[in-house]
Amino acid sequence: MELLERYLQAVGAHLPARGRADTLAELRANLEAEIEGREEELGRPLTGAEVAQVLEAHGMPVLVAARYGPQHFLVGPQLFPLYWYTLKRSFPLVLAAYVVVQLVAAIVQSSSGQDLGQKIGTAAAHFPRVALTFWGVMTLGFAVFEYVQGRYVPKMTLPKWSVRDLPPLEPGQKKHSLASAVADLIVSALIVVWLLAVPNHPYLIIGPGAKMVHGMPFGLTPEWHVFYWQIVGLLILMLPLKAAMVLPSLRRVRGWLQLAINAMGILILVVMVQIRTFFVAGAEISAENLRSLAGINTGITFGFKIALAISVVKFLWDLWKEITAGQHRRAGYTAAVL
Amino acid sequence: MGPTSKHGWNGAGGQSGNELFDSLRLELRRGCLVLAVLAQLRAEHYGYTLRKALAESGLEIEESTLYPLLRRLETQGLLNSEWREEEKRNKRFYRLSGEGERILGLLLAEWTGINQSLGRIVEGLKSNTGKER
Repeated sequence: MELLERYLQAVGAHLPARGRADTLAELRANLEAEIEGREEELGRPLTGAEVAQVLEAHGMPVLVAARYGPQHFLVGPQLFPLYWYTLKRSFPLVLAAYVVVQLVAAIVQSSSGQDLGQKIGTAAAHFPRVALTFWGVMTLGFAVFEYVQGRYVPKMTLPKWSVRDLPPLEPGQKKHSLASAVADLIVSALIVVWLLAVPNHPYLIIGPGAKMVHGMPFGLTPEWHVFYWQIVGLLILMLPLKAAMVLPSLRRVRGWLQLAINAMGILILVVMVQIRTFFVAGAEISAENLRSLAGINTGITFGFKIALAISVVKFLWDLWKEITAGQHRRAGYTAAVL
Repeated sequence: MGPTSKHGWNGAGGQSGNELFDSLRLELRRGCLVLAVLAQLRAEHYGYTLRKALAESGLEIEESTLYPLLRRLETQGLLNSEWREEEKRNKRFYRLSGEGERILGLLLAEWTGINQSLGRIVEGLKSNTGKER
């Protein structure tokens, strides 16, 4: 019976101290009866291997002990749907708040485009820790609530509700218009052509007013030669994506194409933010005009920074919507197939 | 264990047919086991003899499931237990409590209702299939 003693000892190691002796005594009685029952059937004492077989059939000690304990869960089945719903609804808000705060902080504190990129990278790398903390705090909160309800506070009862109180039907998803997609493609192509023509034909910017520019005490920064080609390149890259939006065969991926186009738009804003000086002073500029020029440059940069922050938030929101819409589409497809 | 499905197909979520059957079977059995244990304990038993009695009636139940279940039903007030010596060994005997009797009556009525409904549904299905043929 040494095996039985060892087995009981192993089970006991996983049982709570309270009630351990009682549980083990009952388990011993039942297992001894089980062994004796087998011996009666066979008409002889069980061998060591046979006893081991009986005990192994009874189950692994840790699992056997677990079955005697209370059910272990942090958030129970009644509270879990509410917990999951709260997590799903609040996570995008946490993400949005984090993006806005970090982006504004990075824009305000950064001194150059490279510095801005580094700050955004650091913030992005830090986000998993923030998300984990948020998840931990939410789970802990619900676990505490699960523990205290029924013990220290009355069990939660769901509020009364009526189907008439539910929100009205959401309007259907905006239908993709082929005409607007074609128009968008044509306008985008014209903008590229126009931008390519501008360096050789400056009057295309402000028409006859171009002559007046020559009399101004400031001009465009030479940096424009670099950024100009970056912007034109991104606009050209957008064209095939916009052309793909027109194709009926790609209608399933239109959401992702639109996201790619929006991402290009954000990259253009990133280029614009990197341009710290849009206009430089001419040779005969007055001190007053010089101050105005600095204000103009700062104002334009600040405007682009705000636009970039808004675009990034909008992009993340659209990305989230596209991912969840994709999951719903797949679930609907699976249900339809099955 | 009881019979398992012989189909090798994969259901929704990649769960194999056998796994799905086992999980559904477990769900189906869970409530029935409580009912069977309560009904069997209208007469006094200790763990081992109860398991044997259930097995003889055709309801096999693992020790590691039965013994903790007895504890839980006792904690819920449906069973009474008492340590007593029998054949020179101390054993814990269980019997249905007053509250257990009441709950068993209600559960049996519920089970009978479900059983009859299921019978009607399955019979209706059989006769419809027969007509189609």
